[in-house]
Amino acid sequence: MTRITTYKDKKLLIIDDMPEMRSALRSQASSIGFEQISVCGNVRDALDTLRGGRFDVILCDYNLGPGTDGQQLLEHLRARRLISRGTLYIMVTAEKNYDSVITAAECLPDDYLLKPFTAETFRQRLERLLERKRRLARVDALQDAERWAEVVSACDEIIAARDRYLVDAMRIKGNALFMDGRYAEAEAFYREAIAMRPMPWARLGLARAQRQLGNNAARATLETLIAESPQLMAAYDLLGHVHADEGNTEAALRVLDSAAARSPRSLNRLRAIASVAEEAGDYARVQDSLDKVVRQTRHTPLRDPGDYARLGKALTVTDQADKALELVDDARSTFREDGGGPALAAIEALAHQRMGAPDKAAAALQRALDGDLGKLSPEALLTVANACLASGDSARGEELLKRAVQTNPEAKAVQLQVTRIMSEHGIADHAEKLVSDSVQEVVQLNNDAVRLGKEGRIGEAAAMLTAAADRLPGNLQIVANAAYALLVDMLASGSDATRLENARRFREHLRKESPGHRKLADIDALWARLQPEEGGG
Amino acid sequence: MSFADYAALTIHEVKNRLAALAARADSRGDRDTVREALAAAHALTALLACYKAENGWLGVDIGAHVPAEMVAELVGELAGSAEPGGGVEVVAAADAPDSVFFYDDALVRLVLGTAIHNARRSAAQRVVVGASADERWLKFTVSDDGPGYPAELLDAPVLEPGSVSDHGTGLGLTLARQVAALHDHGGRHGGVVLENRNGAHFTLRLPR
Repeated sequence: MTRITTYKDKKLLIIDDMPEMRSALRSQASSIGFEQISVCGNVRDALDTLRGGRFDVILCDYNLGPGTDGQQLLEHLRARRLISRGTLYIMVTAEKNYDSVITAAECLPDDYLLKPFTAETFRQRLERLLERKRRLARVDALQDAERWAEVVSACDEIIAARDRYLVDAMRIKGNALFMDGRYAEAEAFYREAIAMRPMPWARLGLARAQRQLGNNAARATLETLIAESPQLMAAYDLLGHVHADEGNTEAALRVLDSAAARSPRSLNRLRAIASVAEEAGDYARVQDSLDKVVRQTRHTPLRDPGDYARLGKALTVTDQADKALELVDDARSTFREDGGGPALAAIEALAHQRMGAPDKAAAALQRALDGDLGKLSPEALLTVANACLASGDSARGEELLKRAVQTNPEAKAVQLQVTRIMSEHGIADHAEKLVSDSVQEVVQLNNDAVRLGKEGRIGEAAAMLTAAADRLPGNLQIVANAAYALLVDMLASGSDATRLENARRFREHLRKESPGHRKLADIDALWARLQPEEGGG
Repeated sequence: MSFADYAALTIHEVKNRLAALAARADSRGDRDTVREALAAAHALTALLACYKAENGWLGVDIGAHVPAEMVAELVGELAGSAEPGGGVEVVAAADAPDSVFFYDDALVRLVLGTAIHNARRSAAQRVVVGASADERWLKFTVSDDGPGYPAELLDAPVLEPGSVSDHGTGLGLTLARQVAALHDHGGRHGGVVLENRNGAHFTLRLPR
C-alpha cells in the first residue's frame, strides 16, 4: 500500500519549549532513521534555523511558552514565505485543539499528532503524509506561486479521480476559488461540499464567500456553523466581522467577546476585537485587548509594532497621553533592532500633541521622519502618517498614506485604515481618490514595465522598476521585478557596476524578506548566468 | 480560577509529563511503560472531552478519513511486548476499509483508544480491533477474549455513574455514546453496542 521511506536524507526540525520533550522526540526520530535533526527550544531559534536552510519535516509543539504557539509560528512562516508547502509541518498537541483550526486553509498544518505518541505512530503518520505530499505536490507548488486558476484545475483532476485525497483537493479548491476572487463559484462549490457532508471548513468557506458577495446569508451560515461546531473559533471571528460590516459593532463585539472568553490568549481574536472596537470608536476596548496582546508578545519575535501603534493611539485619544509615552519607552526596549523606531517616535509625537506640547511633538515627529521609513510595515507607515496629519503636515502625511497603500495594493484592511485616518483628520472627501490613485499607479507601473519589456525596451523597464523599488522597498513584487529586469537587461546588453549593485541589493533584500518568493529561483538562475564564477550563490 | 479551571490546566500538565515519559520509554524500548502512559493519557483526554461535553463545547469536526489507517495506528502504538508470552496482544482484524469515510478522527480515535485500553485489562490473550462498512453504516469494533461484559452493563441503557469495574469507570462508555450521537447523517445517528461473543465485543456504529 505504502512505500517505506528512508529518512536518512530528510531534514527534520523539532521545535518544543520543554527540554525533556526535545531530547525524547529527537531519540524517537533517530530510532526511525532520521539522521539530520535540528532542535529548537523557542521561536527565535526556530526562525534563525529556518532562515539557514530548508527542512523536509517540521515537528512543532503547539505550546511554545508564554506568548507564542505553534499555530502563530506557522502563520508567521507562511505570511513571510519562510517555508514552502513542500515542507511538512506537523503540530504536536496535548489535545485536539480546535482553537488552532483557525481561518484560512493556507495556514493549516499538514497534520496534528496527539501527545503521547510512539515512534511507530510517528513513522506511520509520516509515511501517509509524505504520500499525500507527493500526490498534492503540483497543487502545492501552484499554491506557493499563487497561481489560483491553475490550482483550481489541478484540484479538479484529483477530485475527478475520487481517491482518498478527494476532500483535501476540495478544501484547497474552495480556497483557491476564493483567493482568485471567484466568490460566486466558491459559494456554489461550498454548497456542493456541504450537500456531501456538513464539514465545518465548507460552511466556513461558504460564509466567507457569502460575505464577499455582500450576501447577508453569511450571518445565518455562521450561526448554523457555531451551533454545530461551538469549538470553531474562526466562525466567531468571521461572524464578528460580518456584524461589523453591517454596522452592528455592538453585536460584533458581543460575538468576539464570547469567543475570547473561550480562548482568551488568541492573538488573532484580540486583534480582531481591537480593530472592530476601533471602528466603533470604543477605545477603552481597544486598550483592553491590545494591552493583552502587547503583554503576551513582548519578548517574542511575534511582537508587532502595529499593536503598539494602535494601542498608543487609543491611549492618546482617551487622554492617557502619559501612558502612551510610557508605552513608547517600553516599546523602545522591545524593538531595539527591528525598525520600530519611526512608528514609536510618531506615537510620541501624537502623545505630546495631545498633551499640548507642540514643540516636543515636532521634535519627535522629526525623529520619526529621519528614520528609515523604507523598512516600515504599512501599519507603522500609517502611524507616522497620522502623526504628520496631526501636526498639520498634510502633504507629507498623504504621501506616506499613499506609500502604505502601494506597499501592498491588495491589502483592503490598509485601505480601510487610510480612509479612517483621513476622516479623523477631516479630509475624508478625497480618501477614496487617494486610495484608488495609489493602487492604480502601481498597476500602471507593472503594466508599463511589461509593455516596455515586450517592446524590447528592457533597459527602460529596469530603470523604472529600480526607482519604484527604492521608493517602495516593502512591495516585494516590485523589488523582484526590478531585480529580474536588471538582470535580463545586463545579460542582453552587458553589465555595469551600478546596475549590478542594484540587482545584487534587490536580490538580497528579496531573499532576506521572503526566502520562498516565487521569483527568487528565476532571479538566482539569471544571476548565476551573469556571474558564472559565483554559481547559484 | 475555579476548580474546573485548575483541573483542566492540571490535566494538560500531567498529559505533557506523560508524553515525555512515554517518549523516553519508547526510545529505550520499554513497551510496558509506553502502554501504561498511553492508557493514562487516554483517560485524561476522555475526562477533558467529558468536561467540554458538559459545557456544550464538544462539537464534531467531520472530515474524510481512512478507517484502515486509524486501526493500523491504534494497534501499532501498542505493538510489541516486553514480556514474551506474558502480555495481551492487540491486533488488527483483516479487511478494514481502505477508502475514505466521514467522521471526526480525533473523537473516534479517543473512543476506540479507551475501549482498547479497557479491553486489554479484561482480555486473556488477545484484543482485536477492526472496522467494516455496509451500505448504511461504518462500524468500528474492539473485541477481547476475556469473561465478557457483566450483565448489568449489557442491560443498562445509560450507565450508572460510579460503577468502577474491569471495564473502566464508565467515563469511556459515556463519552462513546456522546461521540456516537454527535455523528448524524441522512437522519441516522451513531450508536454504541455492547455484546458478549467470545468475550466482550464493543461496536461504535456511525452513519455513512
